[in-house]
Amino acid sequence: MNNEGFEMLNIKDLKVNINDKEILKGIDLDIKAGEVHVIMGQNGSGKSTLVKTISNHYDCEVTNGQMKYKEKDLLELDTSDRANEGIFLSFQNPIEVPGVNNSYFLKTALNEKRKYQKEQELDSMEFLKLTKDELGKFEIDKKLLQRDLNDGFSGGEKKRNELIQLLILKPDLIMLDEIDSGLDIDAIKTVANVINKLLEDKNRSLLMITHYDKLLSLIKADHVHILEDGKIIKSGDYSLAEEINEKGFKNETN
Amino acid sequence: MKKGLKMKLIDLKNIDFPTKKDEDFRKIDISKLLENEYNKVKEYKLDFNTIDKSFQTENELVKINKQLESKTYELKIIKSQEEPIVIVHTLKEDNTLYTNDLHITVEKGIEVSIVEFFVSSCKNSFYSINRDFHIKDNGVLNYIKYQDINETNNMICNTIIDLEEEATINSSAFEMGDGINLNIYDTNLDKKGSSLNLYGLVSLKDKANSSTIFNTTHNEQETYSDIKYKHSLRDSSKAVYEAKSKVNEKGIKTKVFQSSDTILLSDEATIFAKPHLEISIDELEASHAATTGSLDKNQLHYLQTRGIPKNEAFEILLKAFENEIFDTITNQKAKELVKDFKRGDYV
Repeated sequence: MNNEGFEMLNIKDLKVNINDKEILKGIDLDIKAGEVHVIMGQNGSGKSTLVKTISNHYDCEVTNGQMKYKEKDLLELDTSDRANEGIFLSFQNPIEVPGVNNSYFLKTALNEKRKYQKEQELDSMEFLKLTKDELGKFEIDKKLLQRDLNDGFSGGEKKRNELIQLLILKPDLIMLDEIDSGLDIDAIKTVANVINKLLEDKNRSLLMITHYDKLLSLIKADHVHILEDGKIIKSGDYSLAEEINEKGFKNETN
Repeated sequence: MKKGLKMKLIDLKNIDFPTKKDEDFRKIDISKLLENEYNKVKEYKLDFNTIDKSFQTENELVKINKQLESKTYELKIIKSQEEPIVIVHTLKEDNTLYTNDLHITVEKGIEVSIVEFFVSSCKNSFYSINRDFHIKDNGVLNYIKYQDINETNNMICNTIIDLEEEATINSSAFEMGDGINLNIYDTNLDKKGSSLNLYGLVSLKDKANSSTIFNTTHNEQETYSDIKYKHSLRDSSKAVYEAKSKVNEKGIKTKVFQSSDTILLSDEATIFAKPHLEISIDELEASHAATTGSLDKNQLHYLQTRGIPKNEAFEILLKAFENEIFDTITNQKAKELVKDFKRGDYV
């Protein structure tokens, strides 16, 4: 079913505190299915807080506003339900979990999603086939799956592992929090290839935080938003990102 | 003691039972065990030869079984084998004081894995066991103890370890039961190159109480000891880890390690961890550590953001913490047996 144009995420007057300090001071954001949105802004402007709030991070206390995802009240859903509804945040620094095998973790996550969506769970053989097929398309090494979840992974390996999760879990709303930081150009190309492939499905949307124009040149943004001091101060199309890359944030904030 | 009479351990003569005044027992209260009444005494029989041999230790609790006229069994390993030897102790009779003494000798250059399961289906019973492991030159004993007695039963396990040159013991203890449980390990490392590895997982719930005391003395050069325990404690359970490792003047180039890691899963759960080193020389490698905390909330959140519900994420992380001790079992068959263990399969 093609739901292109369907309202995926609708945020109204969102205010969020972290440790009793107001970080988001009234965010309005609409993301439709098939759209790519980019959030830019200086450090401390609230970019990460926004995506963390959407994925229900325990640090983020929503004090005002509403968030609707596919017409469901997001504030009523707990973290795992949000994930199983199709929300995926790729972390800036994916957490290391020693003692938990990566493959076991991913199979558990996938089957939880299938269970949630009332689909039959995959057995080990079916899961192996799925990972082989999906990772093979992008020449991503399966060896990461044999290790413990992010345990001892390099920065690049951690980001690659987030891509593996994206490919297997196939979320509807992909949120990337500086996935390009610390990656070399080849790794950034792999990220772009995976994301662009996933975005071929127009029921899927992307909300991306990035500082780096390389990724922006590889993933076509429909909307660019500038965040400052917890508010979106300007929105535009891709040309806004080009302007920022050329002139910096200063002109926008003055 | 005559059969049919009610008896208490405290009434046994010539045993200087430890009290709270003893340094090792400041945090361990065994008065409940000593004052409890039993209707009968029963030796837990094993299909092994018996020998006339006493247990050489300062641990007074070892004397209980002798006083109760318990026989001493002997298991002599003269051939290496891949297949683990499995001994299952199933306590079934109520109000019974069970005893069992076993000497295990591993001959020179032999390697063996032995698994002992301790389970119970009775009420108000007590199990007193003594173990003496004698491992000869270059021998290896992989010993696994899995204790899962139910809540009204109690157990004391005294273990004496005697290692000859280049001999090794890898002991993995799983204290999972719901009763009161006390373990005392005494080891003198008197022979060069001997290696003591004591690993343990203490996973308790409700009002379970498990204490382990380790007394280790390095009397010879190039000896090794590693005492690594993990505790995961729910409800109002309580665990004690008291490790004292001494390195004497002769113990040059020894390695001596102690660690206790604990996850407290409720506000009422308690751990008392006391790693303690007494070192008389400079030329050695030593460390001791005790950590206490709860499950990592960042890890818990990360798993949830991938769709794993909170309770399941919690169990996955707890298993990850505990798995390190299961992984100390080197014999694959023994490991499978222990990992697949269910109390209901045995009682």
